[in-house]
Amino acid sequence: MLKISKDQIGELLNIWAKGAKVFVPQENGGTSQFKAWEGQGKLTLGEGNALEPPKDLFFPRTETMYRYRVRDPEASLEELAPLEEKRVLVGVRSCDARSFAIMDDVFLTKGYIDEFYRQRRENTAVVALACTTAQPTCFCTSFGIDPGRAEGVDLQMWPLADSYLLEAITPAGKDLLEQAAALLTEAADEKVPAAAQPSLTADVGGVTEKLQQMFEHPYWEAVSRKCIGCGACTYLCPTCHCFDIQSENRGDSGYKFRCWDSCMFSEYTRMAGGHQPRPSKKERLRNRFLHKLQYFPERYGKFACVGCGRCLDRCPVSMDITRVVREVKEVTL
Amino acid sequence: MANAEQVNPLVPQIGKIIKIVEETPDIKTFHVTTDKGKPFTPMPGQLAMFSLLDVGEAMFSITSQGPEHLELAIKKVGMLTDALHEVEVGQAVGIRGPYGNGFPLEMMKGKDLLFIGGGIGLAPVRSLINYTIEHREDYGRLWIIYGARSPADLCFKDDLFKNWPKVKDCRVDVTVDKGDADWKGHEGFVPAFVEKLGPKPEGMVAITCGPPIMIKFVLQSLEKLGFKDEQIVTTLEMRMKCGIGKCGRCNLGSAYVCLDGPVFTLAQLKQMPDEY
Amino acid sequence: MSTIQEQMRTRARELLTSGEVKMVVGWEKGALWYMSPPAFITDPAEVDRLVWDEFCHNNLAKYLLDYKFSDDRLAIFVKGCDARGIIRLLQDKQIEREKVYLIGINCPGLKDERQGAVLGEDKRAELPLAARCQGCRHPAPVVYDELLQDEGTAAKGEVAATAEDRFTATAEVEAMSPDERYAFWTNHYDRCLRCYACRNVCPACNCRECIFDRSQSGWCGKQMNRSENMFFAITRAMHVAGRCIECGECERVCPEGIPIMTLNNKIIKEINTLFGDYEAGLDPEAMPPLGKYKLDDPEEFL
Ligand code: SF4
Ligand code: SF4
Ligand code: SF4
Ligand code: SF4
Ligand code: SF4
Ligand code: FES
Repeated sequence: MLKISKDQIGELLNIWAKGAKVFVPQENGGTSQFKAWEGQGKLTLGEGNALEPPKDLFFPRTETMYRYRVRDPEASLEELAPLEEKRVLVGVRSCDARSFAIMDDVFLTKGYIDEFYRQRRENTAVVALACTTAQPTCFCTSFGIDPGRAEGVDLQMWPLADSYLLEAITPAGKDLLEQAAALLTEAADEKVPAAAQPSLTADVGGVTEKLQQMFEHPYWEAVSRKCIGCGACTYLCPTCHCFDIQSENRGDSGYKFRCWDSCMFSEYTRMAGGHQPRPSKKERLRNRFLHKLQYFPERYGKFACVGCGRCLDRCPVSMDITRVVREVKEVTL
Repeated sequence: MANAEQVNPLVPQIGKIIKIVEETPDIKTFHVTTDKGKPFTPMPGQLAMFSLLDVGEAMFSITSQGPEHLELAIKKVGMLTDALHEVEVGQAVGIRGPYGNGFPLEMMKGKDLLFIGGGIGLAPVRSLINYTIEHREDYGRLWIIYGARSPADLCFKDDLFKNWPKVKDCRVDVTVDKGDADWKGHEGFVPAFVEKLGPKPEGMVAITCGPPIMIKFVLQSLEKLGFKDEQIVTTLEMRMKCGIGKCGRCNLGSAYVCLDGPVFTLAQLKQMPDEY
Repeated sequence: MSTIQEQMRTRARELLTSGEVKMVVGWEKGALWYMSPPAFITDPAEVDRLVWDEFCHNNLAKYLLDYKFSDDRLAIFVKGCDARGIIRLLQDKQIEREKVYLIGINCPGLKDERQGAVLGEDKRAELPLAARCQGCRHPAPVVYDELLQDEGTAAKGEVAATAEDRFTATAEVEAMSPDERYAFWTNHYDRCLRCYACRNVCPACNCRECIFDRSQSGWCGKQMNRSENMFFAITRAMHVAGRCIECGECERVCPEGIPIMTLNNKIIKEINTLFGDYEAGLDPEAMPPLGKYKLDDPEEFL
């Protein structure tokens, strides 16, 4: 195993930034965000995950899909060049690493491949950073995620007092280490630190089966009362993938874009004629929880929650998915 | 089911409107083709994402097709459809698809088919009617029961009154909620009309589509007549954006209507959350 | 004397048992010690869920809109800012006074929950006053049907800020050069997720159909980018101009930590300069300055 001194992390990022665009959590207006590394910036690789999940790097908040020109009655369309930018995503925690597998299921399987997602995903190397301290809202271990070692990544890092340990997992990870060989030394005595132990838990065993019988249950009315129907929980969730498609016109040309959308919004399901299959927050909140804990497992065989705790942390009313799991398992049918 | 020519399923082809048929005061049928001919070849009941590039995109059922074109019957209900009703022949449009499962043709083979449509709801059903007429020998008797608010609101009048009645073993019954001075046909709502006509469920599959409220009552009527849930097929409408099961919004439980639907048997629907 | 929390539970039990109200809206303990989210109690057996502590932040007034079309009478607890929210809704004719029973609490000022998350429970006693409470001038509710008796221990004076205190952050931004100011606001609003938590929590935002829920109308694009985000930021602020009760909930709930109050306060400051000092949500009879027209209104604004 190799190691690098914490003082040299900026140099490491600079090396990687020569062959790729590097994204790493940095301080931004009092929050921690994955931002492009431009040689300087305040890294936030210490305790706690970035406020926003890295999903934005594969599935941006807003992205142009194609441009068009309309001169009635003619129209033409211009597709965008393939996204070939090489990227290195540094400092991904185990929970977010699992979320990539979930997003892959959505965007890359079931008959259709989402090209925008695929291109970004394939051109990105992922460097994980193990957690040694859990935040109060973390509960990744409830989903069998190991905060000390991420799944499906190219390179794993562990924090020590003044250095990081590094281990390549894939050829891409090995390549990253080779690029930085001059900065790395052999770790002789250092041991991989103990993984974080989240104190919050959710016993999700059997919750899907219970939910399958609960669609009409009065529980949803009660639990949704405090929800204010914002999109904070879904936008900050690393596995929420809903999007809208709209166009923006300027004169006779314009572009079609897609942007994040949220099942918590009234406009989401409202049909052109006004019909609204999910008229109130009860139906919307129910959909969000069922999507994570029932529908996704039914469709893809895994939960669409990784226990990152962002929803609980930032919800204006502290909606707590671990409590929902607990209560769902307790309520009588 | 992805279309081989199209690399990116979210990017449309540019098409052109070559004919517009005014069906009713608020429904028009648009015939669409592209420079390369028919945009794609859908199966009956499948959908197309249709757009005016600078206005918007929405999902419509494909009501019929020819060797070189697709037909979409569209009712004025909102911004995009209002704009569509203003365009003229020659207008460039975006089109992508085909999406969705389409009707269960195998399951219907050899059966008598009862088509029940209300208003614009005849549009998706018509793709199947025309298909079964083309493959006449594969299906039993065809029976079409259709209703609209008024005589002026009846869609596809040529088919209803000229083409379909001429087909061998094909029966057409039409009703309107309220007739006018010239109306000689039946008056009354579709569900009651169905009960009055009393089709026998043996060896028959019922296909119904229309406004949600009509469907609800038609289903009750069919159950009364002894149809089993497996014998009843309907197609759903939901707000859709991607059409390929990714954007999330058309879900009914763990199914996506754009991908796993829009056609479901009543037996399937009863397994899903009542959220449409 | 019994604590506020004990009185809360007692009164909730009495009101529910007697049938005077169908539901009591208060706060309960959340997943973690620094969370006290809203609680909706309908069963007298559950009143012990109610808590009163330094994290009972949520302004409960807004929830009355959810029950606007119900005939049931509700009881809700109101701190200073919740009470102003009630007045705000009354002024907009959004709720009927008779349908709600208000139980007032003299607010000692609440604590910063985010700091709680960072510092840990050991430091509970040392947590700073929440930002939203630092500029609060009316910790005592201005409207109520009954007032719970103080414990007397609360540092009540701590929060009664001066009229100027609340404009400190605004003054700092005003002192910036235009370029700095542009960088300040764009940097913050570039992060805006357009989650609308700030709007949804706000007792002054009560339009039946918000323009931001009608993206098809073309008013505001759904893109999360600088121009649309800034349009959203300014429009939201202008829509609550003269009606913002300064509860600070918008800023507290913003998941991205955007200093929304700095913008709201700028507008309040301008309105005060143009139309004379006014504080929204204090007097149900007083018309908000932008809701009335006077011949001698200043015109620079138009
Ligand atoms: S963040 Fe909380 S309040 Fe907002 S929609 Fe989600 S659960 Fe509801
Ligand atoms: S539901 Fe909440 S805890 Fe689960 S992955 Fe999403 S944000 Fe994280
Ligand atoms: S949820 Fe687990 S992996 Fe994610 S930040 Fe918390 S401890 Fe780390
Ligand atoms: S704008 Fe903010 S401070 Fe003003 S009333 Fe609304 S939530 Fe409260
Ligand atoms: S709460 Fe914050 S992030 Fe959400 S819309 Fe308002 S300003 Fe934007
Ligand atoms: S329309 Fe996007 S999932 Fe069905």
